[in-house]
Amino acid sequence: MSTPTAIPTTARAPALKTWIATNPHLRAFHTLVRREFWEHRSLWVAPLSVMGLLLIGALWTHGAMQIDPTDSGEWLDPQIKSILFALAQWGLTIPHYLVMILVLNFYLLDCLYAERKDRSILFWKSLPVGDGLTVAAKMFVGLVVVPFGTYVIALVTDLLFTAIWDLRAVLSHAPELVLWDTVAFLKTQALMFLGLVISILWYAPFVGILVVASAGLRRNPLMWVTVVPLLIIIFERVTFGTHHLSSLLAYRGDGIWGDLHLEPAVIGSLTGVGRAAIASIPSIYDRVHVGPAFTNIDLWLGVLFTAACGFAAARLRRYRDDT
Amino acid sequence: MTAVIEARGLRKLYHTSPALEDVSFTVGSGRIVGLIGPNGAGKTTALKAILGLTHFQGELRVLGLDPRSRRDELMRDVSFIADVAVLPRWLRVSQALDLVEGVHTRFNRARATEFLRRTDIRMRSRVRELSKGMVTQLHLALTLAIDARLLVLDEPTLGLDLLYRRQFYDTLLNDYFDKERTILVTTHQVEEIENLFTDVLFIKHGRVVLDSSVESLADRYLQVTVTPDNVTRAQAFLPFYEREVFGRVVMIFEGRTAAELAPLGELRTPSIADLFVAKMEKAA
Repeated sequence: MSTPTAIPTTARAPALKTWIATNPHLRAFHTLVRREFWEHRSLWVAPLSVMGLLLIGALWTHGAMQIDPTDSGEWLDPQIKSILFALAQWGLTIPHYLVMILVLNFYLLDCLYAERKDRSILFWKSLPVGDGLTVAAKMFVGLVVVPFGTYVIALVTDLLFTAIWDLRAVLSHAPELVLWDTVAFLKTQALMFLGLVISILWYAPFVGILVVASAGLRRNPLMWVTVVPLLIIIFERVTFGTHHLSSLLAYRGDGIWGDLHLEPAVIGSLTGVGRAAIASIPSIYDRVHVGPAFTNIDLWLGVLFTAACGFAAARLRRYRDDT
Repeated sequence: MTAVIEARGLRKLYHTSPALEDVSFTVGSGRIVGLIGPNGAGKTTALKAILGLTHFQGELRVLGLDPRSRRDELMRDVSFIADVAVLPRWLRVSQALDLVEGVHTRFNRARATEFLRRTDIRMRSRVRELSKGMVTQLHLALTLAIDARLLVLDEPTLGLDLLYRRQFYDTLLNDYFDKERTILVTTHQVEEIENLFTDVLFIKHGRVVLDSSVESLADRYLQVTVTPDNVTRAQAFLPFYEREVFGRVVMIFEGRTAAELAPLGELRTPSIADLFVAKMEKAA
């Protein structure tokens, strides 16, 4: 009698490849996603560049920071070192996500506009790929591949950065400011992952709007999505004395974070060190309320709106005849 | 003959000016059809309608499907080259092969690679690094490696030198065309490829002014280089076109027999280019 054996990890990747290769729809979708990274190289060059710069930064700076001699004892407390370690993990991701937002904005505005501008849409349309699948691949890149890819690259950066700092501290026999703490690491990563998932769902309507603008506007989509809303806000305020659009945008900007009770969680996590107070990210993770964010109806209405935008962009691409 | 394209009463307005007006034609399987007309005649609009790329009124069936509602399905059996400049400039040659292989179940990569091996195109090159002629070769390699039933070409050799133009059509005939396949091509360079066509469709101001197989053109049209003393007699046979060439008058007649016209001068079947000019000037 044969006994079931676990599939070796190395066999899983070829199995996935075979599965994609044998399913024409999956294969087409996979190819369309690859195409986005061929065409828009900033999608992978930018995060890798940020990673490279941060790692070069790790070589130039070091974990054995100058410590005020009056409170050095507190800074060298292992618990504080762990909090600082978590903060460093979080802080290192910030450049990644700032660059990601910038890159994604330009990508989404360009993804359906560039092919009309250079008439290559006629080549794309000569292939048996529907407009829905094309738009879906682009939105998948903007909403899933790039954000989660950035998360992975940021995670690798965190690990390498910490390893470089640790190595340099050991080699220079200097006291380390940060201390590896597996629980703190996991909680920090979990909180950032959660934040990323909520951000994707909450900010998805912006992706939808950018894709529609890219598919529909005849020229200068960047101007249309920046200057025009600004003019509408000013016009609304001057003419009617109202601020509906600015309120809506402000709500879509930070409206979800209140549901997580983020502010009290941050305040509650503050730990005094000498004359400073530092937030403990693992402690924030223990205190945030995740449920209310996912039961916020506006979050799911935004997701529906994004899907509608995807549908509209596909229709625009299908019936637009300006080649 | 199985109909690959059946168009009945196609109409299309751009703003207020008509691009297609009551256009009807049928294209059979295994034919090479030249859709010929001057700039702005409606050729590209007709092709766009066939490819489901534009709105229009009227009835249209391509391979039995309505391109308006079943475009995605249709494109599995139809290939087209819009013109030489539409391949994305950032695309590498190897990526182009990966791409078409990834999305087209009827793409034969080995065939495209073999075709490219006969050219100077390198796999690592990007489209923007290739000459216009090489871009055409690449596009042709991708297109000919697709086992499609209908190939649509819209001015595929525009802007290319004679060498590349000749090579393009030679490849098309030798490596691609067979009785199972149909090619619909628009071009300005009628003289160069008129021997290629099995059928011609002349279009002017959005209307079809001639729809004929090339073999029946000889039965319908005759060109006579009329000797000066026979001009008045020849005009009595109501030529639909006449012009003076080196002091002699060339006339084209429709529906006349060789026996009627032979006494008037030198008789021959007009070339497609001559007929095109005649039809266009008549319809003007």
